[in-house]
Amino acid sequence: MFDVASSKAGAQVVLATSADEEYPPENIIDGSQDTFWVTTGLYPQEFVITFQALMNINTVRIQSFNVRKITVGRSVSNEPTEFELLREKDVESTDGQLQEEEIHCGGNLTAQHLKFTIQSGYDHFATIHQVHVDGNAVHS
Amino acid sequence: MPTILRAKCIVVGDSTVGKSALTQVFHSDGTHYPKNYTLTAGVELLVKAVNIPDSNDCVELYIYDSAGKEIFYEIVQKHWDHPSVVMLVYDVTSETSFDSCAKWLERVRSQKPEMQFPGVLVANKIDLDQRRVISPKAGKDFAQSNGLEYFEVSAKEMQQVEAPFYFLANEFHKMYKERLEQFKTLA
Repeated sequence: MFDVASSKAGAQVVLATSADEEYPPENIIDGSQDTFWVTTGLYPQEFVITFQALMNINTVRIQSFNVRKITVGRSVSNEPTEFELLREKDVESTDGQLQEEEIHCGGNLTAQHLKFTIQSGYDHFATIHQVHVDGNAVHS
Repeated sequence: MPTILRAKCIVVGDSTVGKSALTQVFHSDGTHYPKNYTLTAGVELLVKAVNIPDSNDCVELYIYDSAGKEIFYEIVQKHWDHPSVVMLVYDVTSETSFDSCAKWLERVRSQKPEMQFPGVLVANKIDLDQRRVISPKAGKDFAQSNGLEYFEVSAKEMQQVEAPFYFLANEFHKMYKERLEQFKTLA
C-alpha cells in the first residue's frame, strides 16, 4: 500500500473549479500539509484526481478546513466521466486546526479517477490541504 | 493569471423600490434603464465581473434580483441559500418600503445565521427630492445599527449605482484575503 494519489506516484488533479494560482489544485497531492487548494466562492466546488492506472482503493484520507459536506465519487473509465457516488460525509467544524476525514473502502474498490465535491461549507471559503489515497495498482 | 472570486449577491426589498432598475443599470454599465415597470416574478439572475483595484483579482457577482411582492416569497427564498453578500433596497419616497427593511434583513439572515456576510443598504430614487420622506439620517442610522454600509443612489439618473456593488465586491475580496491568512496558519 502506498499513496496512489500523490503526484510522485503519477497522479494528477485534472479538474478543479477554483483557481488562485498561489494556491493551485496541485497542492492537494503534493505530499505536504503546509500547502493547500482554496475555493474562491460559492458551492459546490469540485476536483478530480486521476491515477496513473486503475487502482484498488483501501482508504481515502482528506485534510481540509471549513468543509461542511463532501461527497466522493469514482470512475473506472479511461476518461474522467461516468462517476458513481461512493460516499457522502458530513464533516465537523474545527477551530484553528485541520479537519480530518477517513473513508474506508475495503480494498476491493477500483478506481481510475476520484471526484471530490464540496457540497457546502462552514464559511464562504474552504480549503483542501491534502488528499491521501492508500491503494495499489490493479494487476490484470 | 487573475484570480476569479465568485459571490452570490442577493438583492432584496419591497416591490417597486427599483431593485431591477438598479441591477440592470449596473449590469449594462449605464446603457440600459428600464423605463417601463415590469414586475419581477421569482428571481432574475445577472452576472457581472468587478475588477478589484490594486490587484489582479476580480469578483464575479451573481446578482439575484428577487421579486419584492409577497406572493413570490415562497419561490424567492428557495434561491437564497448560501448568500455571499446582500443588498437591501428601499425607496426614499416610501415609508412602507423603509419600514420593511428590517423584515427583509431578518429573512436573509435566517438563511445562514452562523455565517457573516457583507451587506449594503441602498436608498434609491434620490432624484425625487420633493417627495422624499426618509431622511439620510434615518437611513444611515438603520444601516449602522444593522452592520450595513449606507448608499444613496438614483437608478434613473444613473447616480452612484455602481458604488454599492463595488463596495460588496471589495468587501468579499477583503474577506477572502483575511481567510487566506488564517488558512496559512493551520498546517
